[in-house]
Amino acid sequence: MTSKLKIWHLIIAICIALLLLNYGLVIKTYSLIIIYLQIIPENYPRAISQIGFSLIDSCASAILVVIIPIFVYLLRKRVKIFYVSLNFTSAAIIILISFFIFAPFAASSNPNFQQNISETKLLPPFSSVEVIHLKRNEKPEQNLIGKFFNLKKEVVKNTFDESIIFADSIVITKVATIYQKGNQVILPKDTILFSYGKPVITKKLFLFGTDEFGRDIYSRLVYGARISLFVGLGSVTISLLLGLSLGFLAGYPGGFVDTIISRVTDMFLSFPAIFLVILILALFGNSLFTVIIVLGFSGWMSLFKIVRSEVVSLKQKDFFISAKMSGLSGYRLLTKEVLPLILAPVVVNLVFQYGSVILAEAALSFLGLGTGSSYPSWGAMIEAGQNYLTEAWWMIVPPGLCLFVTLYAANNLGKEINLIFNPRLKG
Amino acid sequence: MNIKRISFLILFLLIAFLSSCNKENSSNSNRVIIGISSDIESTNPLFAFTPNEGNISELLYLSLVQFDWDKQKGELIPKPMLAKDWYWNADSSSITLDLRNDVYWSDGVQFTANDVVYSFDVYSDPVVQSSLYGTFKNFYTDTSLHIDINKTFTVESPFKIKINFKKGSIPNFVDIGLPLIPEHVFKNVDRKNLITTEKDMKPVTDGPFYLSNWEKNQAIILKANKKSFLHKSSGLSELIFKVVPDYSSRIMQLKRDEIDLTEDSEAGDVAQLKNISSLIISPIDGRDYDYAAWNNIDPDAYKRNKIIPNKIFGDEKVREAFTYAINRQEIVHDFLNDLGQVASGPVSPIFKNALDTLLKPLPYDPDEAKRILAADGWKDVNQDGVLEKGNQKLSFTFYIPSGNPRRKYAATIIKNDLRKIGVDIKIESLEPQVFFQRMFAHELNAWMAGWSVPIPLDLKSPWYSDLKNTPLNVYGYQSKAADALLNLIGHEKSSQQRDQLYKKFQELIYKDNPVTFLYWVDNIVAYNRRIKNISITPLGAVEHCWNWSITK
Amino acid sequence: MFLLISFLFFLLRISPGDPSLKFISPDLSPKLAAKIRDSFNLNSSLVDQYKAFLINLVRGNFGISYTYRMPVLSVIKDYLPFTLIFSSISFLIQIIAGFFLALFSVKKINGAFDKTISKLSLIAYAIPSFVLGVSLILVFSSALNLFPSSGLSSFDFSSFSFFQRLSDYAFHLVLPLITLSLSGVAVYYKYLRENLEDVYNKTFVLNLRAHGFTEKEITRKHVIPNAINPLISVAGVELGILFGGALVTEVIFGLPGMGRLTVNAILSRDYPLVIGCTFISGVLVILSNLAADLIKVRVDKRLLKSTLN
Repeated sequence: MTSKLKIWHLIIAICIALLLLNYGLVIKTYSLIIIYLQIIPENYPRAISQIGFSLIDSCASAILVVIIPIFVYLLRKRVKIFYVSLNFTSAAIIILISFFIFAPFAASSNPNFQQNISETKLLPPFSSVEVIHLKRNEKPEQNLIGKFFNLKKEVVKNTFDESIIFADSIVITKVATIYQKGNQVILPKDTILFSYGKPVITKKLFLFGTDEFGRDIYSRLVYGARISLFVGLGSVTISLLLGLSLGFLAGYPGGFVDTIISRVTDMFLSFPAIFLVILILALFGNSLFTVIIVLGFSGWMSLFKIVRSEVVSLKQKDFFISAKMSGLSGYRLLTKEVLPLILAPVVVNLVFQYGSVILAEAALSFLGLGTGSSYPSWGAMIEAGQNYLTEAWWMIVPPGLCLFVTLYAANNLGKEINLIFNPRLKG
Repeated sequence: MNIKRISFLILFLLIAFLSSCNKENSSNSNRVIIGISSDIESTNPLFAFTPNEGNISELLYLSLVQFDWDKQKGELIPKPMLAKDWYWNADSSSITLDLRNDVYWSDGVQFTANDVVYSFDVYSDPVVQSSLYGTFKNFYTDTSLHIDINKTFTVESPFKIKINFKKGSIPNFVDIGLPLIPEHVFKNVDRKNLITTEKDMKPVTDGPFYLSNWEKNQAIILKANKKSFLHKSSGLSELIFKVVPDYSSRIMQLKRDEIDLTEDSEAGDVAQLKNISSLIISPIDGRDYDYAAWNNIDPDAYKRNKIIPNKIFGDEKVREAFTYAINRQEIVHDFLNDLGQVASGPVSPIFKNALDTLLKPLPYDPDEAKRILAADGWKDVNQDGVLEKGNQKLSFTFYIPSGNPRRKYAATIIKNDLRKIGVDIKIESLEPQVFFQRMFAHELNAWMAGWSVPIPLDLKSPWYSDLKNTPLNVYGYQSKAADALLNLIGHEKSSQQRDQLYKKFQELIYKDNPVTFLYWVDNIVAYNRRIKNISITPLGAVEHCWNWSITK
Repeated sequence: MFLLISFLFFLLRISPGDPSLKFISPDLSPKLAAKIRDSFNLNSSLVDQYKAFLINLVRGNFGISYTYRMPVLSVIKDYLPFTLIFSSISFLIQIIAGFFLALFSVKKINGAFDKTISKLSLIAYAIPSFVLGVSLILVFSSALNLFPSSGLSSFDFSSFSFFQRLSDYAFHLVLPLITLSLSGVAVYYKYLRENLEDVYNKTFVLNLRAHGFTEKEITRKHVIPNAINPLISVAGVELGILFGGALVTEVIFGLPGMGRLTVNAILSRDYPLVIGCTFISGVLVILSNLAADLIKVRVDKRLLKSTLN
């Protein structure tokens, strides 16, 4: 089964699509970076104080969206993975990762953007509203810092925008009458932005509809991918470190230590992890980091078992004994001798672990014990949608599908890696 | 053995089985089913901590008086119940009650004045931990707030009792309107263990309904007590409180006539409920409001027992600006679907006479908010989008209790609105237990919570400056003028004069903006047309349900 | 087990949150509030609390639930039967459905049935139970109005005859059971299919065939016991977890089970109840693991015999 499309085709296609769709934004971001570089020597403390997560995020995405396709194109022959054929799993994973990296460009607005709620709330997928632009009372700034601020406002998407109004329609007589779902708002004519004698009106499309605050579900999905990936990677790393070190600690010296650690592991295994997780989160409060740490701590047991049994069986092997005789320290033994051998089962386990962590995070959010961060998570979106079950199915179906696709892809990936390491399984 | 055939047979049987049970008798003639969100933990009024427990225990155990609601004046009207008649003495310091002599407990023992004395004794006994403990402020009590029985009650005959109130207090019918419990049943139980042993006892009641069955977490089934003097032949024969924890299933069951009545429906569902011909939706002005609290005092200093103004919110200009900046109308319109109103102060619109209607809520005006803050010295000097005054940034965490969709909605809007005027606000939702603990400890700087204004109106507990004795003043409002007014209200006997003082107090609060009053929430009662003679008042829908009848 | 409980006890005590708050009306002065707190034994030293706690545990007394104001065991008594029955039914469904599906698809490996079921099982495995539950409500309850969306029995339950009651329960449990069982079916299917396939390819099966045993006999007497054996310990663990309460399913469908009880107890800081619940689910986990081990031995013996014959 080899399709002609390879992974690198998709990566480049996504980047180009993002560039084409957001060319204005990308250009602005680059000029922002240039201005910023000019400010640094001029006014160092000021420049530093302006650095924020969302600014770095936007700039990094802008740089990466150009660099990545170039690198992929150049390296496509040398790095084998780019030549893997495209299938459902790999496509899903790539799209997910590009959501993660390019969120500022892939999303059409800030995930928490809300404005004129009565006009935009609970819109079905593919609906659009008119955007009426208001006059801004900003003067074009001459100095660098002024320019920087004006540009920053356009590049970094905010949760509000005072220069636009969402509406069904607008009628201009002596005043401007704006119609919004049965409401009428009357504004003086001179507040509306005109161009060539006509008011400037654009359209805003809500691809997957909007939620109860009129927030764009598509943008929220994109940022939700970030939470999922971040939580997944973070806690899998913790599990990995814990499982590896404890497994080595238990398996290598054996005896008393081994018994204790193994007993404790059995204890943890016998207790349904989800209760422990909920208990700890309920007791100590839930933030992104507690969720990551707690999920990480609840998932190390299977890794521990794999590592321990491998180490125990390795101890008997000749090459291991000779390596030990030659005076390698415990740490070097672990990295030089043990790790390469157990790599395969560990990687497979990690991928499955990753899937279950994402699921656990979503389930926690669903139960109201999620990350509590200002960014949405898929589980939390489904939870919110439950209240609007009969009115707005689109609040549940897209995040549910995303979650499903991610889990499906993670499971498949685990299987495929397993096949690569153990080709004999293919049967 | 043909597995396929057998499994088909099983499947077929299962389907036949399932389809046979499709709703048969969906509406038993004289029964009303009320949907409630959580199971009660006790049917005993002593331990009625939640509204549902209160409602049910009041149907099982009668009180001396019952209340009607005067819609014009916004006041309670006491009506006879166990007491047939009463008269106050000249200075209203004692009341003599004539009790009914035709009331019997369900085990056949007659109700007498001794039950009255015993009930007050037990309710106020600290070892019992009853739900009303500590509320008997108009009675003679000892230091542990236990009512002094000898000083308070004079039993003149088994059906005539005199109650003497504390000197200088202004007693009220609410003070004596609590459900009474049978002395002969409980007197042999150790009071310390009453709270647990009560569970295993079969309730002995005297109300218009008796407890027929209580299926844990499923339903509480009451049946009409035909011997009760409140019983009517046209009335209900059965009243069921069905536990449906999930709100949307409660609504679904209401639509399908599986339940007949539910309170506190969400405004968002009213439109679709109105389309259903079998239902009547009756929103009434609420006495619950949500507020955004700005801690008036500094939390750190309070820990060291000092009261100094809060670094940010101690300034009334800031609080006023925030009130201007929050689009409260949007919350009322888009979440409450206009089934509520923007609040201007702490007096509910149901108290018609006490409410100062001249005070209109401040409009939504972000520009005015910005202007006030700028005039007060808050400027964005480093242009990071957040205002500063000196070293103090206008930046804080806004706490909300988790599990309340309305507050979550409102908080999201508040966050966005305040960001527009240059406030760096972060929302954190805390699990309710932790939230309320920290709130009562004055540890939080800014938060959102709600308050249900009691009937009769009581403004002293949430607004009096002395934080040690009025722990409900969680936002630490400090005002000498307000204290003086509240003290005056406490000693004023004329209700007209009192209403005038209430209005003055509202003006003060309006000016000071100790918190941002957000909105009053209508109580939306939805019920089936079958129920007749139902009157929905601020006292709750279930009140007086022995008067209901069913049209067939 | 003991370690776990002690661990829980200290975890509960060092966490923030004041359980006495629920019993004190906010009108109370702080002095009296402290008094009530005292009666809940929360003001004594941690060591004393722990001692009292352990003594009670040995006696089988978990204390009195703060919220229900009943002995913890009698609270649990109201919730446990449902969980036991519900999870047992779901467990049976998972095993039986997984088993038959696997059997059918192994009959013709890579046939149409095998392929579709394998694909479907992958999908079923990846659907999170709450997504599934909510979607089922959306389709069958809201849109089609076929099944009730929550609760365990109808309101006029008490007037039903025995069969009506039974069918009423069944009717209410269709959607929850699907939600709870689907991913489990997929898991067992996957395991069993692989195992069955493995065993079919073993040489002893070929031998048996050569000896003229019918395919049915081979499957029933030799292949199935061999294939099932490794599954038993997996099933033991799974059953234990199920007994802990099908948390998400119970929450979505509003069912009175241990999962919801535990979570509510945690959220309302009902320490005695939390410890009681975790203790009971721990015991159940250990019991079901034990049961799995016992069954394994039995199956092994039969294997032993069949090979001797």
